[in-house]
Amino acid sequence: MSTTTVGSAQDSYIEAPDDIEAAYEFCEKNGFGDGLPVIPPTIERVERMLMFCDRPRDQPIMTVAPSYGDATPLRIAANAVMAGCRPEYFPIVMLALEAMGDDAYNLYGVQATTHPCTPLIIVNGPIARELQINSGFRAFGAGPRSNASIGRAVHLSLLNIGGAKPGAGDMATAGTPAKYSYCVAENEAESPWAPLSVEEGFPSDSTTVTVVAAEGPHNVNDHESTSAEGILKTIAGTVAITGSNNAHHESRPVIALCPEHAATIAGSGFSKSDVKKYLHENARIPLSKFSAENVDRRLRKKFPERYGNASLDTLVPMAKQPEDYIVIVVGGAGKHSAFIPTFGSHRPVTLALKRNDGQLARSIQEFRTAR
Amino acid sequence: MCELQKRGVATAVICSEPFFRVAKAQASAGGVPDLPLIVIPHPLGGTGLDVVKSRAGIAYEQLIQIIRDLQR
Repeated sequence: MSTTTVGSAQDSYIEAPDDIEAAYEFCEKNGFGDGLPVIPPTIERVERMLMFCDRPRDQPIMTVAPSYGDATPLRIAANAVMAGCRPEYFPIVMLALEAMGDDAYNLYGVQATTHPCTPLIIVNGPIARELQINSGFRAFGAGPRSNASIGRAVHLSLLNIGGAKPGAGDMATAGTPAKYSYCVAENEAESPWAPLSVEEGFPSDSTTVTVVAAEGPHNVNDHESTSAEGILKTIAGTVAITGSNNAHHESRPVIALCPEHAATIAGSGFSKSDVKKYLHENARIPLSKFSAENVDRRLRKKFPERYGNASLDTLVPMAKQPEDYIVIVVGGAGKHSAFIPTFGSHRPVTLALKRNDGQLARSIQEFRTAR
Repeated sequence: MCELQKRGVATAVICSEPFFRVAKAQASAGGVPDLPLIVIPHPLGGTGLDVVKSRAGIAYEQLIQIIRDLQR
């Protein structure tokens, strides 16, 4: 037996086995974790994680709904150890959780909804490259360690600190495998446009984390189109689906273009705002495609000024305005982009990674402390 | 709702059966573990007006009981 800290403990220390299999059994028995094996969060391992934390370990950076547990660096570090994070990843984990503490994110709604959404963590900037967060082949998973463990650390924190247990705090009807881990970097090197971080108002040399309450990616296969209009027509056809929350919530759908699709689109002279404008104008569904009940009981009631007396050939957009589309470039070679449907009653949040003196972080090593 | 209850306003929350556990957990997290909960059968969405009226009747009976308990 060894002294081990466990995620949702009230900052007390729990005696638990640090043998991998025994710790796995212990977590299962006590309701910690996501069902996968964990690294036992011993004091020594948590201390190593906190070497990359420049904040007071007992001062909450946010509270995690639905049980409103205090997310202190100490508790987050225990979850990051359990998830398999290298200590260098810890500032990104912290930043993602801090972003979810913004009221606009509506963490309670995201955690407790019946909808299968979960935080998609998009990392931009030089530190994404320094940490080798995958933005290329199979970037949405599984692996490498950076993507897998950063995403998992955030999700374990939501479970263990926030009490998002199935049927008791997380009411997702069936959920999504993305709830295990969902972290990606934008492939800025192969994007013909400014990265998401710059679009959201941050300097081009900043490292940012964007959190979006999202479903898993839905593939868009287009091997034939040779123009922006062709590829975007295929994407618009994939986005315009009646069962998506984006059809009746004013949220921000995500389009993850593969580099080859992005190059073809940009080669036609399209800017990123042209892409958004095209999708907003063309990813639309006529009212007649929705069930009569959805038209009468939801769309006409929720948007009376738009659909109250509208004819059934009226088109329903998938976002309120073109700017609401989030367009990023992700992936390696091949012609598969992705539409990522999102939640609703929620706005994505982007934060820049800063040192405790308020300056933008240039390297993750700036967070290394002398503990 | 917890905040209203804390301020002395008689409050009750309606939830359907599968949401009872999360409602209890939320009441505790909000500092009012004994917040009155009115429990109705599930589902409410995707049902006709007759079912909605039936659910309202079930909720109404519990609401009256909560008010009676408050007057004791």
